[in-house]
Amino acid sequence: MSERVVCASGVELLMDFLEGVLPDDLRSDIATHVAGCERCTAFVASYRETPRILREATLATFPPDLEQSLLAFLRERRR
Amino acid sequence: MDVPGSEPSDEALAARAAAGDDPAFETLVIRYQARMFRLAARMVGSEADAPDVVQEGFLQAYRGLASFRGESKFSTWLYRIATNAALMHRRGRARRPTESLEEFLPRFDTDGLHCSTPAELQLATRAEELIDRGRLAQSARAAIERLPDMYREPFVLRDLEDLPTTDVGKVLGLEPAAVRQRVHRARLMLRGYLNHLVTVKT
Repeated sequence: MSERVVCASGVELLMDFLEGVLPDDLRSDIATHVAGCERCTAFVASYRETPRILREATLATFPPDLEQSLLAFLRERRR
Repeated sequence: MDVPGSEPSDEALAARAAAGDDPAFETLVIRYQARMFRLAARMVGSEADAPDVVQEGFLQAYRGLASFRGESKFSTWLYRIATNAALMHRRGRARRPTESLEEFLPRFDTDGLHCSTPAELQLATRAEELIDRGRLAQSARAAIERLPDMYREPFVLRDLEDLPTTDVGKVLGLEPAAVRQRVHRARLMLRGYLNHLVTVKT
């Protein structure tokens, strides 16, 4: 049996797969491939983690004095 | 009157603000300032530069209130203005040479199979464990900086600000399929970049 999905074609469709926008048969082919492919299982794990890691790493701290300076700036410009 | 539990909607406040009710506009500013600050810091890659972008964004929003017709959500409209303010800010500052992140895209052999081992492929997931927090933050901002605008904007909005794909499409004027394609490409490059960071470290 020849597989319809290989690592490269599965990776190509990975976001569509995760967002649930693929047709059922293709979705199922990808799920089957990933379940049986250690490399794709590892790849999917790191692909899913990447946004979370970057989201947390780039979380900026809101400066406490910004609200007042922002409102003052805008009031000044509105005059 | 703003009673707790029955706060006016963004759109209602925007309509009042457009009619000259400045306190209504200030309520919107206070409601969105933290989100706009976070977005700006991520779009321009600098917390220090973010306040200027936030100021400029809100000023443009104030001046453009008459053009907000309530056809889209107020938040979508504001995100669009802030994204553009960030882009203008980026264009206005000295250009730094940026290396492409393409080298971090996954590699496959001629049969379409991953070239790397499972252990190598999973390295990115250990980034927080293996890389010092400060260095990870700095590297993350630098990597997002290196994305071309067409990938950075949808990636930041979708994956860092957590907007739904359809909302990102409305902010950027893209079809959801185009948003997914661009975010996917950004994720692939950034995943490879994180892998690389961990490899260099260990």
